[in-house]
Order: sequence, then structure tokens, then C-alpha cells
Amino acid sequence: MSPDILFQFSSPLALFGWAALLAAPLAPALADRVAGLVVPALLSVAYAALILAFWWDAPGGFDSLAAVQALFTDPRIALAGWLHYLAFDLLVGAWEVRTARREGFPYLLLVPCLVLTFLFGPAGFLAFLGLRLARRATRPMEATR
Amino acid sequence: MTAALAIRPAATPFDAEPRFAAAGLGFALSLAVTLAAAAIDPRLFQGDNIWLKPIKFQIALTIFFLTLAFFARWLPAGMTERRAWRVFASLVVAATVAEMTWIAGAAMAGTASHFNQETPLAANLYRLMGGLAVFFTSATLVMGVAIWRDRASPLPPALRLAVGLGLVLTFALTLPTAGTLSQMPGHFVGTPVTGAALPVFGWSREVGDLRTAHFLATHAMHFLPLAGLAAVLALPGRLAKPAVWLAATGYVALVAWAFTTALAGLPLIA
Repeated sequence: MSPDILFQFSSPLALFGWAALLAAPLAPALADRVAGLVVPALLSVAYAALILAFWWDAPGGFDSLAAVQALFTDPRIALAGWLHYLAFDLLVGAWEVRTARREGFPYLLLVPCLVLTFLFGPAGFLAFLGLRLARRATRPMEATR
Repeated sequence: MTAALAIRPAATPFDAEPRFAAAGLGFALSLAVTLAAAAIDPRLFQGDNIWLKPIKFQIALTIFFLTLAFFARWLPAGMTERRAWRVFASLVVAATVAEMTWIAGAAMAGTASHFNQETPLAANLYRLMGGLAVFFTSATLVMGVAIWRDRASPLPPALRLAVGLGLVLTFALTLPTAGTLSQMPGHFVGTPVTGAALPVFGWSREVGDLRTAHFLATHAMHFLPLAGLAAVLALPGRLAKPAVWLAATGYVALVAWAFTTALAGLPLIA
């Protein structure tokens, strides 16, 4: 199986996970399982397989920006890096959904955070943390856990 | 207590030694990654997909640990709770994890694990892993002797003998066959090797292949208990034990034949 085919499978898989998160109010347990477990696990299997198969002969390394760039010139390692994004961004999204549910964080505020996490991972995470902090700070009477 | 029990899965036949059961399950689960790697990695090693060997070892270790976990219920009462046993069992699992890491690491690097003398590091690792292999296989010896000698065992005497003897023979037969195999330059004896091999196992059909003897030796712990079970079920009580001894003798002879045939450079199945 070539990296291109794997790439074509991985994007719909991740999108499926994000769709489950958006639909989480309808089926919370299912969304947790799909986006917080099954899809990231499948992406991780593909990631681990790519690393086992192609890491050894890959150029570059971790010790300088140029080395990291060289690493990603190998399409198979770039695909592994892409799967890494997909898997971990989705896990962060699933964590946001679980945390929002537990803390009564409004769905309408959560959705933009999820969209941002989907597109720009850490920026969405930061948005969620910021909104959560602001909401907590301005509603001191509410029980916070 | 009840809550803790409620979240546990139903009792399995492997509960008597949870470390071995978990190790067996863990090696089985790890197949997901190596099977996926085999599907995407175009590299070959000696004509086969480079991940075939790690996959074979993962399957073998899964069977090894689930077998030991299954037999562990017949260890003498209290043995698995003893500290020495717990340390030993943990070290056995650790040794197999090291072994598997070495084999998968060599596949990752596209080089040989066993028989690798290319660099001092590779040669030293090979030697170290040989020692670890003897150590983790000794779990069969320890368990076999303990089950064999347990007079309070609930097993019928002939079956107890068969389980104990099978485990002991796994160690006693694997040591010389695998030990000799490890001292050769490779698992084939003789030429020419053009690639004719048995399906699934990959044993040569044209020259001697020492892996067959290793395979048979290591599976004594499966063959003899099954022979013992058959003897207990089918034969009158006083014949069961002699039948087990006979089966054991026959099996040792089979291993010896496979071993000497391979050493002579001949295939067992042409």
C-alpha cells in the first residue's frame, strides 16, 4: 500500500471522528468512543507502521529546524507526521467535548473551539482554555470541578 | 470490592498467572502494528517481507504465554503468590519484550537479528538475546518441575505427568536444538538454497532446516499434555502413565530425527 492511498483513507477517517464530536450532544458515549478512542487508535496503528517501515532510512532528524525539514521531505515520513496531527488533534477535540460536558460549558461556545482545533490544533486548544477560564472567572458562584 | 469485580471481564482460562496472560494478549495486540507495517513496507529480507519474522515471533510468544498462563492453574497452591515467583515471571516477560524489541528493531533497520555478526554491537546483541532466550524458556522448566512434583495436584496422575514432562521437555529439547541452531551461520544446512519452502512455516524443502527441530522441541508442551489427555480419556488407569512415557519417548525420537536430518543437510519434507 502506497503512502498516497493511506493518505486518502486517513482524511475521511479523521473527518468521521470530528463529525462524531459535533454530534456529541446527540450521542455522547458514542462520540467519546469514536473520537476519543477508535479513530485515534486506527490512525496510531498506521502511524506506528509507517515509523517501523520507513523511519530508519529517512533523512534528517530532530536536532535542528533544517533537520526536521529534511525529515519531512520524505513523503512517507510526512504522511506519518500528518497522521500524528490528525490523531492528536482529534484527541484534544474529544477532551474538549468531555470537559465541556462535565463543566456545563455551552455547546455554542464549544463548536468554534472544535472548528479551530480541527484546522489549527493548538490555536483551538488555546481558544477552549481561554473561553473556559473567562467563563469560570466571571461565574464564581458555579461549582467548578 | 464488588465494584472492582464488576468491571473485570468474565473469568478466563488464563487467570491463574495474569502476567503471562497479559503478555500473551499484549503480543497478540502488537500484531496490529507489524501487520500494518508488512502491508506498507516493500523491503524484503532473504526473499520474504521484512516483517514476516517479527510477526512469526509475536505469534509464537502469544502462544507461549497463553499456554503458560493456562497451565499455571495447576502450579502448586500458593506458588504464584510467592514473591520469588512474581519476580521471576516479571523478568521472563521483560526478557521476551527485550527479545521482541531486538527482532522488530532489526527489521526496522533492515538488517538481521539472529546470526548477525556484521558489527561488534550486532554480534554482542545476538549473544545477549541468546542468553535471554534461554532464561525466558526456563519458565517452562520451572513450571514443569513444579507441576510434576505436586502430589496435591487435582490432575489425574498421568495427565499431571504429561503436563509436567511436556513443559520440562520444551526446555530440555529447545536448549540443544535452538542452541545448535544459534551457533550455525544460518538456519539452513547445505546447498543449493533456491527458495523451495513449505507454506506458512517457510521451512526448506531442499536442504536441512534446523528451525523444524526447534519448532517441534518447543511444542513438546502442547503435544505431550494432549497425548496425556488422550491417554487418560481412552486408556484404563494403569496404562495411562506408561502411555505418556511412551509418547514422550516417541516425541524425543521425532525431535532427534528432525535435528539429525537437518544437520545432515536433508529436508524433512521434500
